[in-house]
Amino acid sequence: MEVEENLVSNSRIRVITMQALKKTLLILIFAVFTFWTSFPLIWMIITSIKPRADIYKLDFVPFYQFVPTLEHWRNIIFSDSFQRAFVNGLIVASLSALFALLLGSLAGYGLARFQFQRWKNKDIATWILSQRMLPPVAVLIPFFLFMRFVNLIDTVFGIILAHVVFNLPLSVWLMLDFFKGLPPEVEEASQVDGCSPLQTFFRIALPIALPGMAAVYALCFIFSWNELMFMVALSYDKAYTIPVQVASTLAFQQMEWWNLAVYVTIAVIPPLILTLMFERYIIRALTLGAVKA
Amino acid sequence: MTSPIKWLFLLPAIIYLVALTMFPLAWSLSLAFMDWKLTKASDPQFVGLDNFIRLFTKDARFWSALSFTAFYVTVAAAIELTLGLILAVILASGIKGGRILRVIYIIPLAVPPIGAAFMWRMMLQEDVGIVNAILTFFGIERIRWFTDPWTARIGLIMIDVWQWTPFIFLALLAAIRALPVEPLEAAKVDGASEFKVLQKIIIPLLKPVIVTLVLIRCIDAFKLFDLVYGVTGGGPGLSTESASFYIYLVGRSYFDLGYASAASYIMLIIMMALSITLLWRLRRTW
Repeated sequence: MEVEENLVSNSRIRVITMQALKKTLLILIFAVFTFWTSFPLIWMIITSIKPRADIYKLDFVPFYQFVPTLEHWRNIIFSDSFQRAFVNGLIVASLSALFALLLGSLAGYGLARFQFQRWKNKDIATWILSQRMLPPVAVLIPFFLFMRFVNLIDTVFGIILAHVVFNLPLSVWLMLDFFKGLPPEVEEASQVDGCSPLQTFFRIALPIALPGMAAVYALCFIFSWNELMFMVALSYDKAYTIPVQVASTLAFQQMEWWNLAVYVTIAVIPPLILTLMFERYIIRALTLGAVKA
Repeated sequence: MTSPIKWLFLLPAIIYLVALTMFPLAWSLSLAFMDWKLTKASDPQFVGLDNFIRLFTKDARFWSALSFTAFYVTVAAAIELTLGLILAVILASGIKGGRILRVIYIIPLAVPPIGAAFMWRMMLQEDVGIVNAILTFFGIERIRWFTDPWTARIGLIMIDVWQWTPFIFLALLAAIRALPVEPLEAAKVDGASEFKVLQKIIIPLLKPVIVTLVLIRCIDAFKLFDLVYGVTGGGPGLSTESASFYIYLVGRSYFDLGYASAASYIMLIIMMALSITLLWRLRRTW
C-alpha cells in the first residue's frame, strides 16, 4: 500500500514539475519577445536624454550611470524647423483623415443601405478597396506632374489631397463593414416618420456610428502622419513634416543621433496615443475586417 | 429604396477616386509609352514600346530591385507568420497578463516606418551600436551590418520582422480566441495531445485567416520604400534597392518620367496578382 501511494505521489510530482518547467519556458519566451519588441523604443528614449559625451557609451540607467539632460529636447522643441514640421504634420494628418472619413462614411453608408443595380454593391466595394493595394509609386509621377501643373507642390493642401487618395479606400471599406453591423430598423422607422435618407443618415446613423468613425479617423490619421513617400516627393522646404525631416537627416553619414532621437520620440507620440486608445479596433482594421478582434 | 439620392452618398468618393487615382493611373500608362525627361526642356515624345524593351532587355538594376523586393517579402512574411503563430498559440493556451502584453505588442504598429529605420540604424552601428556590443559580450564577432550586401538585406528584414510580427501575432491571437470551442473540447475529451490538437484542429481552422493575413502583409511589404530610404539608401552598391525605391529614384531624382511610369506599371501588374487573390477572398466573406 505504502509503496503504491509513493508511486502515485511521485508521478504526480513529476507532472507538476513538468508543468512548472513548461510554464517557465513559456514565460521566458514571452520575456524575450517583450524585450525584443520594446527595447528599440526604450533605447531611443534613453538616447534622447543622454548627455552628448555619453552617447556612445552603453550606459542605460538614468541617474545611476549618467545624468539625464533635457538639452536635446530643448534644442529641438524650440527650433523653427521642428515646430514647422510638427504643425504641418498635424494639419496634414487631421485634415486628410477628416476628409477621408467624411467621404468614406457617406460611401460606406450608401453601400451598406442601398442596392445599386448596374454594378453590384460588392463590385463597387471591391473596386474601391483595390485602390488601397496599388503601389503608391504607380501614381506618384502623375501626381507630381499634376501638383506642379496646379502649383500645389510644396503646399500642405497638395499633400492632403495625396493622403486622402490612399486613406479613402480603407475608410470606405471599414465604414461599410461598420454600417453593415448596425441594425437598420431604427433608420427604417425614421424613414417611415418622413425623414429623407440624408436626414436619416445625419440624425440617426451617424450618431450611432460615432465610435466606429472615431477609430477609422484615428487609423487614417496614423497612416497620414507616418507617410513618407508622397511627402518627400511633393515637398521641398515649406510643407515638410517630421518623417521628411528624419529621412533627410538620415541621408547624411555624420548625424546627431541625440537630436534625431528626440525627433523620432516626438513623432511616435501622436500615433501611439491613438493606437492605445483604439487598441481593440486597430487589428480588425488592419486586417480589413477579416479578424473581428 | 431605389431613390436616386443613394448616389449622393456614393458619388463624392467615386468622383474623388476617379479624379485622383484612375485618372493618374491612365496618365501614367500613357507616359509609359513616351520619352519625357524633365531635365531636358523637351516635350514628351511617343516612343512606342521602347521603355518596356529597355526595361526587359537592358535594365539589370530594375530586375535586381524586383528580385530583392520579392526576397524581402517572402522571408519577412515567412518569419513573421512562424513567430506570430507560435506566440499566439502559446499565449492562447493560457498565460496571464494577456491585456498588458497586448498593449506592449501593439506599440510597434504605431511607429512610423522611418522612425523604425532610425532606431535600428542607431542600434546596428558598426562600432558603437548596442547590437554589436551585445554580440561582443557573448563572444560573437561584431557584424558590419551595412557594408556587406547580405547583412544589409538581413538587417532590413529584421526591422520588418520587429515591426510586423506583433501584428500577425495579435491578429492570430484574436482569431484563435474566436474559434468555436466544441471541436477543441471534443478533442480534449478524446485524449488528443496538445500538439495533435494544434496540428489537426487549430491550424486547419485558422487557415483562411492565415492566408488572408499573409496576403495583406505581402502586399504591404512589397511597397517597401521607407526602410530603404532611411537605413541603407539602397546600398551597399545596389544590393538593397527595392522596386519602389528604384522607380522613385528614376522618376523623382533622374526625372525620367516615361521610363519610371513604365517600370511602375510592371510593378503594378506583379502586385495585381497578390491583390486580386486577397480581394477575391475578402469579397467572398461579404
